[in-house]
Amino acid sequence: MHFFLSLILVSFFISPVFAKDDEVVIGLAAPLTGDQAYTGFGVMQGAKMAVEDANIRGPVFGQTKLRFEALDDQHNPTQAVLVANKFIANPDVLGVVGHFNSSCSKAASAIYHEGRMVQVSPASTNPEISRQGFDTFFRVCATDEVQAPAAATFARVDLGATRVAILDDQTTYGRGLADEFRKRFEKLGGQVLRHDGITQGEKDFMPLLTKIKSVDPELVFFGGIYPEMALLLKQAQKIGLKAKWMGGDGIFDVSLAQLAGQDIAEGAYATMLGVDPHEVPGAQDFVTRYEARYGEIGSFSAYGYDAASVLIEAVRRAGKKDREAVLAQMRVLKDFPGILGPVNFDERGDAIGKSVGIFKMENGKFKFIKEVKPQTSS
Amino acid sequence: MNPELQLFLQQLLNGLTIGMVYALIALGYTMVYGVLQLINFAHGEVFMVGGYLALTAAGLATSLWAGLPFWVILLFLFLFSILGCSLLGAVIERTAYRPLRGSPKLTALISSIGMSFVLQNAVMLIYGSKEQSMPDVLPRWQLDLGGVTVSLIQLIIFATALSLMALLTLFVKRTRMGKAMRAASENPEAASLMGISVNGVIRTTFVLGSALAAVGGSLFAMNYGSLNFHDGYLAGIKAFTAAVFGGIGSIPGAMIGGVLLGVFEGFGAGYISSEWKDVFAFGLLIILLLFRPSGILGENVPEKV
Repeated sequence: MHFFLSLILVSFFISPVFAKDDEVVIGLAAPLTGDQAYTGFGVMQGAKMAVEDANIRGPVFGQTKLRFEALDDQHNPTQAVLVANKFIANPDVLGVVGHFNSSCSKAASAIYHEGRMVQVSPASTNPEISRQGFDTFFRVCATDEVQAPAAATFARVDLGATRVAILDDQTTYGRGLADEFRKRFEKLGGQVLRHDGITQGEKDFMPLLTKIKSVDPELVFFGGIYPEMALLLKQAQKIGLKAKWMGGDGIFDVSLAQLAGQDIAEGAYATMLGVDPHEVPGAQDFVTRYEARYGEIGSFSAYGYDAASVLIEAVRRAGKKDREAVLAQMRVLKDFPGILGPVNFDERGDAIGKSVGIFKMENGKFKFIKEVKPQTSS
Repeated sequence: MNPELQLFLQQLLNGLTIGMVYALIALGYTMVYGVLQLINFAHGEVFMVGGYLALTAAGLATSLWAGLPFWVILLFLFLFSILGCSLLGAVIERTAYRPLRGSPKLTALISSIGMSFVLQNAVMLIYGSKEQSMPDVLPRWQLDLGGVTVSLIQLIIFATALSLMALLTLFVKRTRMGKAMRAASENPEAASLMGISVNGVIRTTFVLGSALAAVGGSLFAMNYGSLNFHDGYLAGIKAFTAAVFGGIGSIPGAMIGGVLLGVFEGFGAGYISSEWKDVFAFGLLIILLLFRPSGILGENVPEKV
């Protein structure tokens, strides 16, 4: 009995090895469990829809169909490296959409580079990732070099803030964003009163906020993600810290107002890569189909779709099951019509011309108020 | 008031608040250790479940009986969470620990770690992996004491935690069951020879510890307004540290340890650096253990040979 059971189990596990010849795999790596599983699922579902749409249009080349395979990096760089090795080991995988978090993208990028596998990140904004000299790395989002200066300029010029406090969650993403914000804000003549780190997953920020209150900043910038932002907003209100709040794309989430309390979150600013997909004409069809299928669209679902679509296009042009060929096609791809606008990459693999939107929380929703174009294209 | 003093008092208050919650959880660790010499790693998860139950109860109460005075909702929420967690505590003891009684201590420890995974993932499957928000049940009322702000939830945390600690002390000191617990923790075999049902004592210990964790979880959920299925991990580690700090096995030790840990953390984050907050708290623990290996109030029991 046990023998048969284990036989069935073993055959279940080894079956992917005998994948059909007329199949290539588009991989996806994102946090599917753990603290960022919700956002990760949004990316995964977007990418999955791109693969399905491509399959409806017919074989990607010859008789070859695409298969979608998602692996969970748990928002953990160590796990991200394991995921990358797993993809590399499967000869059917021609490219990977991922990872979501900058820390994971960075850790895994060396593995993909060694395996000559294209990696297209939908959302990792840390500038360092594309400066390691890996020709296999691409991303379809703006970097923090665009995002954070846009935020700093907006805070300094449009809001007229002169004295700010900066917080970050000590991750590759959060610290990077906060550092870029600080550089630009100081360059514009602003004063940074404090720059403190917090720990992700921590809940109690009262001591830190009490300290920040005592230096009385006009604005607090947070490099981090929305669960901590909600806690910060809530606790700042409790101790009577009356500063404006601002954050990057990490705090841009529908549930921020719900978690912090709608009246408390009111007036918070966020930068977001590009604009709200609801307001991009080209993305309407995708948004409607996504929401009919999965409910409210995730903040990065459209990026997941675009990252997968670009990759599929490169596979189609390569016309064979060969990672180098896909990579070569990725590097020469021009003006790919993504749903969020044309996709072009510079020599480092960063998306060109991706603008940043400034949003303000009004009545529990982030409302688009301004678009900031990148100043230089490289 | 002098702004420096004002800041100091506010930081002290911040630390005491979280310290009270640590103390409530630490009691569960220390009581179970007292009777079983087992570190129940699933205890942090019971605390997290307590928070989620409070969240569910608050959602129910605010949608079903809108307009009820807040203290009725509060009472309902505590009762709901306490009942749920007590039951959970009893079930955990019955399924994960009792079958292993008599096997090496390490086996039960591994079982508790397994239980902790089971609970985390069960909550993730039931409530989803996304951060859940706790409905506002308390009025946003604040007291200003010469520049030091005290919120209603802070007052509730102090009142509940302190009265529960007093009740627990009375229970252990004055009741028959409390006496049985002390006897069983001193020597389980001798206790059972005296006609004490050691299994009954152990079950009561788990139920009591879980009920305290339920209150801690409910207060935690109300204080921070959001919950994640990971929250039991960090809070559990901190409370365990507090229990060791105060002397594991000692009930007043857990109370003192929890409050002190909260205050150290608060001052560490408030005056030194919030990035090094945990380092500060754990560093103090290490220093204390170097000089007093059994913790602040722990008894110095010589190793049996």
